[in-house]
Amino acid sequence: MESNKYIRLGPIAKAVLKEIVIIILIIIWLVPIYAMIINGFKSNTAVVTSKALIPTLPLTFSAYQEAWTVLNGPLLNSLSLIVPVSILSTFLGALGAYYLNGLTRSFNSRYRVLGNIIFVLVALGTFIPYQATLMPLAILMASLNLLGSYGGLLLSYLTFYLPTGALLMSVFIAVVPSYLIEAAKLDGASDFSIFFKVVLPVSLPGFISTLIFIFIESWNNFFLPLVLVTNPSSELVSVGVRYFTGGFGTLYNASFAAAVIASFIPLIIFIFLGRYFIRGILALGSGGKA
Amino acid sequence: MVNISVKNVTKIFKSKNNNVIALDNINLKIESGEAFGIVGPSGAGKTTLMRIIAGLDVPTSGEVLFDEKVVSKDGKILVPPEKRNIGMVFQNWALYPNLTAFENIAFPLRNQKLPEDEIRRKVQEIAEILGISHVLSHYPRELSGGQQQRVAIARALVKSPSILVLDEPFSNLDTALRDSARALVKKLQEKFKVTTLIVSHDPADIFSIASRAAVLVNGKIEQLGSPIEIYNNPVSLQVAKLVGEIVTGKGVVTSVDGKKVIKCGNLIFQPVLENSINESEEVEFGLRPEDVKIAKDSKLEGFELAGKVVVKVSSYSGGVFKIVVSPLENEEIELYALSDMPMKEGEVVNLFYRKEKIKVFLKNYYLKKTELQS
Repeated sequence: MESNKYIRLGPIAKAVLKEIVIIILIIIWLVPIYAMIINGFKSNTAVVTSKALIPTLPLTFSAYQEAWTVLNGPLLNSLSLIVPVSILSTFLGALGAYYLNGLTRSFNSRYRVLGNIIFVLVALGTFIPYQATLMPLAILMASLNLLGSYGGLLLSYLTFYLPTGALLMSVFIAVVPSYLIEAAKLDGASDFSIFFKVVLPVSLPGFISTLIFIFIESWNNFFLPLVLVTNPSSELVSVGVRYFTGGFGTLYNASFAAAVIASFIPLIIFIFLGRYFIRGILALGSGGKA
Repeated sequence: MVNISVKNVTKIFKSKNNNVIALDNINLKIESGEAFGIVGPSGAGKTTLMRIIAGLDVPTSGEVLFDEKVVSKDGKILVPPEKRNIGMVFQNWALYPNLTAFENIAFPLRNQKLPEDEIRRKVQEIAEILGISHVLSHYPRELSGGQQQRVAIARALVKSPSILVLDEPFSNLDTALRDSARALVKKLQEKFKVTTLIVSHDPADIFSIASRAAVLVNGKIEQLGSPIEIYNNPVSLQVAKLVGEIVTGKGVVTSVDGKKVIKCGNLIFQPVLENSINESEEVEFGLRPEDVKIAKDSKLEGFELAGKVVVKVSSYSGGVFKIVVSPLENEEIELYALSDMPMKEGEVVNLFYRKEKIKVFLKNYYLKKTELQS
């Protein structure tokens, strides 16, 4: 009676259906990237006269050249800021997460309560929209005479991304089997050597996932540098791409080229470290063994 | 080496709705250099007791002393596990997956900041003893179960621990490997004369390694003694079952010629019963498989005849035939005996037992003394 309500599919039909869904999703994701790349190769006129999804000949590199000239400075600025930000956020976050983990495992109930309180604060630090606290932060930086300086930027980014690192890493460290930590303790290891020799290597996929996540998030962050960077020469790439969009007109081909250049580094990182990203996610389901 | 005292240790696991008493006022003394076993069913608190001794958990109340020095007391750890010099072999071995076998074994030595050549020498020495020298460069995932276990044992022993703790160390090995692993551990224990604590649900582990053992049931020590003592004189039927195979049956105390005997169908068992036991009381009796025989003969040296039984089924395991029999007039009662030959179903044979070995349990499961007098 009820069983005829649904159409039953054979295994081949099911597989084909799955593939079709995947292909559709891939197309949806790839179309903007495709448009971004081909439109960067169009001339200034072609980009407004031709259809967005159809490439035109001849290919011109002028837009890329133009974008590169503007962006090479910001690109370097971004790299020199975002690389330390993501490494420090993830590493210090991992250290903090290990400490939190130790607190929540403590035999002393007061430490466990303290651990939970800190964890809530860390989560709050991650989930409060940074736009809400950006102005007070800018004022704080100004009063410290750090506004616009490299150190001030680094500190500001860490304020927002360190809690993220701690939160993500505490999820990954929680799945490191507790018997490994106990074995290391019985083997006489100090907390630092347990962290460096056991916890960090075992949660490495999670560490790299967190690193990638923070890198991409902070690389793409637009609002932070918009407010906190006061000197044009220390402009970051996420703000730099805006250069081609002005009040009087938009250089579409250069905008597209700039977008390609700006997303190149995160893309490369994801391609090379993406397998760790997947493994990190998988590790959550398998007790850290992936 | 170190002696271990456990005094009035109670462990309560608190949760919102109920408190679970994992250990209930445990008192133990493990002598220096002794191999001590803790046996019990799962959930009895064996692992909790072991973890409290190792310092991985705290007693809710009571204290643990190493050489008369308090290491844990009333919910506090006074000497942390890393300072207790304990070598532990975990149930799943807990090898560091990111380190080679060599580095796994060297790990405790590196924490002691020993010079590199001494580490190398010590690791190689212990690897030699354990026969794993050829796999030192392998990662744990590249080792067989037996090799992983040996690496875990090597890691536990390499630092010359004061106490060696083994948590169900053989349960992850296949049967063929288990016996040689037990022999190896016993040999090492004797060689290093290290105070050893072995926790297992398998009595074979305790028999092969421990010189004294405690049977833990529901968080309480039910019996303390040498494994063979516990095997021969268990305080309860549950303990009897925990430390080995036992053939059990129910019977009624009856008087025959002025002597109290146990009647089980047409079978008559003649233990010497305490006077306090009343006639027509229903009791359980137990006999170790080696104390029961069935044969067609009417007499058997050293054995007493209980009566005639009928063979129900013969099965084979571990080199002997297990023959399930029932008293002639009572099919519901099932007993078994081991035999070196299979027997035909329906065959009527005599059941013999060793009179001095029969154990009698009252309904409350506790043994009534069966002292040999007659």
